Amino acid sequence: MFVPSVTNPIGDFVRDMIPRLAEFLPASFQSETLNSVTAFLVNAIICVVAVCAVNIGSAPILIFMERKVCAHIQCRLGPMRLGWHGTIQTIADVIKMLFKEVYAPSGADKLMFYLAPLIVLIAPFIVCALIPFGRNLVVADVSMGIPLIIAVNGFGVLGILLGGWSSNNKYSLLGALRSGAQMISYEISFAMILLFVVMISGSTNLMSITLGQEGTILDWWIFKIPVLGFIAFILFFISSTAEMNRAPFDIAEAEQELTGGYHTEYNGTPFAMFYLAEYIALVTNSALATTCFLGGFLPPCIGIAAIDNYLYMVPGVVWFFAKVYFMIWCYMMVRWTFVRPRVDQLMDFEWKFLLPVNLVLLVAGAAYIAIGG
Amino acid sequence: MGIINFAPKILDPIPGGKYVVNAIDYVVNWARANSIWPLTYGTSCCAIEMMSSSMARYDIARFGSEVFRSSPRQADLFILAGTITHRMAPAIQMLWEQIPGPKYVIAMGACTISGGPFIYDNYSVVRGAQNLIPVDVYVPGCPPRPEALFHGLLTLREKILKETCRHPWHVGRPKDVSTMDRYREAAKTWAALEEMKDEEMAEARAKFKEEHPDYKSAFKPIRVKKEDFPEVPRVPFKRLGLTQSELFAKLREKFPEVTVHTHSEDPIEDVVAATPADRPLEVMVRPEDYLPIVEYVKNSPDFKMDYLIDVTAIDYDDHFDLVTMLRSIDIGHKLFLCVQLKKDFSIPEEKRPTSLLASIGTISNLYPAAEFKEREVYDMFGINFEGHPDQRRIFLDRDFVGYPLRKDFTHPQMIRRPV
Amino acid sequence: MPTLPPGFRIQRETNTEEFFINMGPQHPSTHGALRLALRMDGETIVEVVPHFGYIHRGMEKQAESMSYLQYIALSDRQDYLTAIQNNLGVVIALEKGMNVGVPEKGEYIRVMLQELGRIASHLVFFGCFGGDLGGQTCLLFGFKEREMIHDILEEVTGSRLTTNFFRPGGSRYDVPDTFIPRVKAFLDHLEDSMRDYERFLSKNIIVLERSIGIGVLTKEDAIAYGCSGPVLRASGVAFDVRRVNPYSIYDQFDFDIPVFHNGDCYDRYKIRIAEIHESMKILRQCVEKFPKEGPWRSKEKPVRLPEGRYYSEIETAKGLYATYVVAATTGEKPYRIHTRGPSFPHIAALNKMAQGHKISDLVTIMATLDPVIPEIDR
Repeated sequence: MFVPSVTNPIGDFVRDMIPRLAEFLPASFQSETLNSVTAFLVNAIICVVAVCAVNIGSAPILIFMERKVCAHIQCRLGPMRLGWHGTIQTIADVIKMLFKEVYAPSGADKLMFYLAPLIVLIAPFIVCALIPFGRNLVVADVSMGIPLIIAVNGFGVLGILLGGWSSNNKYSLLGALRSGAQMISYEISFAMILLFVVMISGSTNLMSITLGQEGTILDWWIFKIPVLGFIAFILFFISSTAEMNRAPFDIAEAEQELTGGYHTEYNGTPFAMFYLAEYIALVTNSALATTCFLGGFLPPCIGIAAIDNYLYMVPGVVWFFAKVYFMIWCYMMVRWTFVRPRVDQLMDFEWKFLLPVNLVLLVAGAAYIAIGG
Repeated sequence: MGIINFAPKILDPIPGGKYVVNAIDYVVNWARANSIWPLTYGTSCCAIEMMSSSMARYDIARFGSEVFRSSPRQADLFILAGTITHRMAPAIQMLWEQIPGPKYVIAMGACTISGGPFIYDNYSVVRGAQNLIPVDVYVPGCPPRPEALFHGLLTLREKILKETCRHPWHVGRPKDVSTMDRYREAAKTWAALEEMKDEEMAEARAKFKEEHPDYKSAFKPIRVKKEDFPEVPRVPFKRLGLTQSELFAKLREKFPEVTVHTHSEDPIEDVVAATPADRPLEVMVRPEDYLPIVEYVKNSPDFKMDYLIDVTAIDYDDHFDLVTMLRSIDIGHKLFLCVQLKKDFSIPEEKRPTSLLASIGTISNLYPAAEFKEREVYDMFGINFEGHPDQRRIFLDRDFVGYPLRKDFTHPQMIRRPV
Repeated sequence: MPTLPPGFRIQRETNTEEFFINMGPQHPSTHGALRLALRMDGETIVEVVPHFGYIHRGMEKQAESMSYLQYIALSDRQDYLTAIQNNLGVVIALEKGMNVGVPEKGEYIRVMLQELGRIASHLVFFGCFGGDLGGQTCLLFGFKEREMIHDILEEVTGSRLTTNFFRPGGSRYDVPDTFIPRVKAFLDHLEDSMRDYERFLSKNIIVLERSIGIGVLTKEDAIAYGCSGPVLRASGVAFDVRRVNPYSIYDQFDFDIPVFHNGDCYDRYKIRIAEIHESMKILRQCVEKFPKEGPWRSKEKPVRLPEGRYYSEIETAKGLYATYVVAATTGEKPYRIHTRGPSFPHIAALNKMAQGHKISDLVTIMATLDPVIPEIDR
């Protein structure tokens, strides 16, 4: 009988523990299959809870952070009244959204309308499961990590297209079509840059990509290959911003043009899910950037053993989230600084600039490796 | 919405259950009161103050309300910023219906409370938002300062904190009386009230007049006496282009019938020469000359009237004055053409207020700018423009009865200003 | 050919399916209660038909039963971004009828408040332009400096927005002692912040891409549609009432009328920025020459106009603001007052500008026209 299993350190621990615990049970309950199925279930539950905790837990923090970053860029204070400097403002928002009335507009395809926000949430959750947060902290340590991420990212488009189409609203439809065109285009350069990383690291497994950067800060992929790494990082930053539909590439929402784009007709909990998906995508994309370019959970060593030893004493998770939040902060600064390009300009930028540059980068990277970098 | 409204029914009978209900109330109200997302909606002056309140100086974000949602489906609060007109009223009701519950309404500014400066002699303004949708908080002012809006917001917060799911939030319904009937009734009651007041007050007024023979000067506001200020002569007006006499003479060469409006017996040339330089020349034109003159002054190199300032009309007892204001950007002179359009009195008297009383050719083929201006004149005065490409009402509804800027215009919603 | 809804006129021989979008009356970028009916071919605009009247308040009808002075208060509510300029437009028409002059200090007060109002309006434009392009931060920057002008206006007139300040022969009150120092401080502050703001938008590559060559209004079209103010001057017509027919004491100051020649969105943006600098120039001269002593208004007379028709025109921040007063009999009440607002012709030319552009460009064009809807509907 085939028993599903997820390869990860937690799984190893669970698989190790379950047979020992099973010894206390009556003999009739003891069997190899049952043990491994139980181990799988326990492992799965632990993993789901962990992913949900990381994602859903970080969303309110990010919303609060966004509101504060935005406020301070704009010479304001931001939320101040609830908690210390408005720290629990987003909790009030979440509770309020949960208790709002929920309805679908007339003429909407109800099934698709309520399904769309769930589909949007799938992609970032799966990506999050693949990312190593620490040496022993990864949910699914699959060997084909990068191709899986590229494949799964397409799901987000589906959710947004469905949401826009099923709302029975012209603004939503326009927003969804814009978003579909944009995300499919930018997925190509997104994939290209990930392939560049795969090429230089020689592995598609995210854990080995991270461990390949072990050493000093100059061994991170962003600095290891002299100029190309940095260019790749900038290109990744641009295409992932477009991939997430974040400003300045938020033409799908475009509040001034389309009043909210694909989620114009959503209210209450479904709208909260779109909101959540946006911020979880922010976490996962920042985590991906951290893993691929900024050394993942590795500390920023500088090559002096005395200092490096202290840096290694800090757990990898802390380093990881420090880098992730730095990336998120960069995304936020960009969002509140730039204005939004037009639809056709955005497409032009992708097909006429970003993609050729990516191809050149790929070739240059190959040449660098061939020469013996 | 649904589930927590059943909570009291299920939990209250259970011993200790009411504490749970109280706790739910507390948490839910706390969340609702502290996270009020307004709808991006504004029509006039108050909207600017609403925007100011979310800007750097006042910063509505401190109360967690900076998330202005453009879509009504994600908003909680409807700030009615600006005057509500009858044309806008259905849109407002629809927006309010689209906001998911619990929803709150703040009526910001005098116009949305009562009609504000637009109460009297007005045919298009809704006198108070409460006639359309239920209002929670009124913020007076014209326009209210951002601080006043914050006070309104905090008052609303207190109101929300007192809610309980035992008496669930009442959705209410927008008033479904058709607008016209409601206002006809309101106007009637108002007129009756005014009459009553008049009768009651008549005696008192007469008595007051007897007791104070100099009542007209008695209540003049006292002003500090000022010494006679020497009047500084105003800057002499530099007239560009042709002088008025030259303009008039040149026009008269081509069209000998043109005159200017005057009561004096002097020759017209002297009257033209005597008008002050800063006042534009206003020429009286026969209706049949109107189109040729406009075409002539537009194309003639002497005049070059290439810029249309405005087209408007004035209603008199038996005629309309159609005033066309022209200007030459190149040369700099101005010329006003005034056409007297006799009213068509062959129309039976009872039909006159609702029918087009005069007719004249359009100049929108010469000046594209005239298209909308002529639509406005058509809308407000009921003057027909022959050959106009798109003659529809512009400011009022298609089914609006009558032409408001005529002097004999009456409307059931109009309340006369007490004199 | 299918029958089109009223207002749409362009006939096309295409096989693509067109659809209609309703923009407004509640839409974040229509600048108030304006409704635009768009005929779209995909994302491209085929035709725009504006629908007005959602904030038509019948001011002209109401004015017929009001006194002249009461109408000054109503004029605040037309173009509320530059209420102080509308006041002057009405007051000048009344002064022509009453034949009163204004003392020198009164004229200086007028010019200074005019220019402050112009700067305030252009700052709102700056904010809305950035905001409509998607940069929310610009919106807040524009409003930040505007608050300082409101502080000054509040101190002088007692009101932030609806000032109701000028009267025939001068103004309601004298300015306080702090007026000149505060204007001076404000100018110094604005000089620095304008430098920052221009760096923020004027050379931003996305702004350039989105505004250069968008919504071009040729010189001939601009004149034919009756555009005025910055929109006309961005199309290469040097027309400014302050220079052509100087009112108040505008002929005593040294300032330039900026004129740009392309007539696209970027020029309309740049010209307003240039006008802020010109207004600052005028204000600096005013601050230097401001008479400390002397009367600030001429002897008060009852506002009674003799029979006749009076016309005044001024240059507000949006353009040519003309007031036409008809007095049928000598008295305190007008027979008819008509106002010509500058935004109305601009919206009339919108279809010409937006045809063939994308829906995002329509938002840019609307932002650079800087319309105020209550002034159109009145």
